Amino acid sequence: MPTLTPTLTLTSSDVTSDELNFSVTDSLTVTAPSQSLSTVVADTTGANTILKAASSAVTYIFIRHTGTTDGSTGTSQLLALENTDNTQFGSLKAGEWCFIPHLSGSLGIQLQSALGSIQAEYGYWTAS
Amino acid sequence: MATTIATVSITSGDLTPGSPLAVNATSTLMKTGLTTGMTMMEMGSVDIAKDYEGQLFADGPATDNGAYFIYICNKSTDATYYMEYKLHETEIGRLYAGDWMWVPYNASDADAEVEVKGKTGINTIEYAMFKSAWTLPAAEA
Repeated sequence: MPTLTPTLTLTSSDVTSDELNFSVTDSLTVTAPSQSLSTVVADTTGANTILKAASSAVTYIFIRHTGTTDGSTGTSQLLALENTDNTQFGSLKAGEWCFIPHLSGSLGIQLQSALGSIQAEYGYWTAS
Repeated sequence: MATTIATVSITSGDLTPGSPLAVNATSTLMKTGLTTGMTMMEMGSVDIAKDYEGQLFADGPATDNGAYFIYICNKSTDATYYMEYKLHETEIGRLYAGDWMWVPYNASDADAEVEVKGKTGINTIEYAMFKSAWTLPAAEA
């Protein structure tokens, strides 16, 4: 089965006196279904942009706010991350990204723009 | 203002034949309202035993849509160990041994919690929260 290698690196030379600089890497064996890196335009109704329906396996989801409405026009609106029951648990600002190991019973993941449209980049991979 | 940078790399050489996956993204953490320089951080590690369920962080301030980022890594080495995590009392997902997450979190009210629950074994987790604002707990009389 394919192997996915996600790596997170956090750095800061001035958030504390002790310089922050670390990386963590995982090695994931993944299987179908998967969604290669794609783009989607979220609007103000979360149900219109369901990235991943509920499933019984852990799904690793990458989401990035592109900072645009359509790939070219800039926007600074917040991109809400919601479960498919419309519960918002976080939001991405322009340029920010997240990596979510997701498994939430009967709920999937959807995106909603605070105002207007936001183009997001995303992909997901299912743990085997 | 402090500058903290989060970078991700997601790679695979065998996911799609003839088309290696190489995702890279970098962002600078920003405070609520797009101000660069998230200056507060809380970091540590803790053991989460099977069936233990509790908050990973103390209750935050009632900051509407405050900008926070949470990092959690399950440092366990036994592949059968895993834990669940919740945001806003909503189950979001699981972290098996070796898995990590980087998720934005809205402290939209004082009850918006980050909860963890051990499911198997004793999960040693590493965590950090980057905060836009924070109020220390009041002293008890």
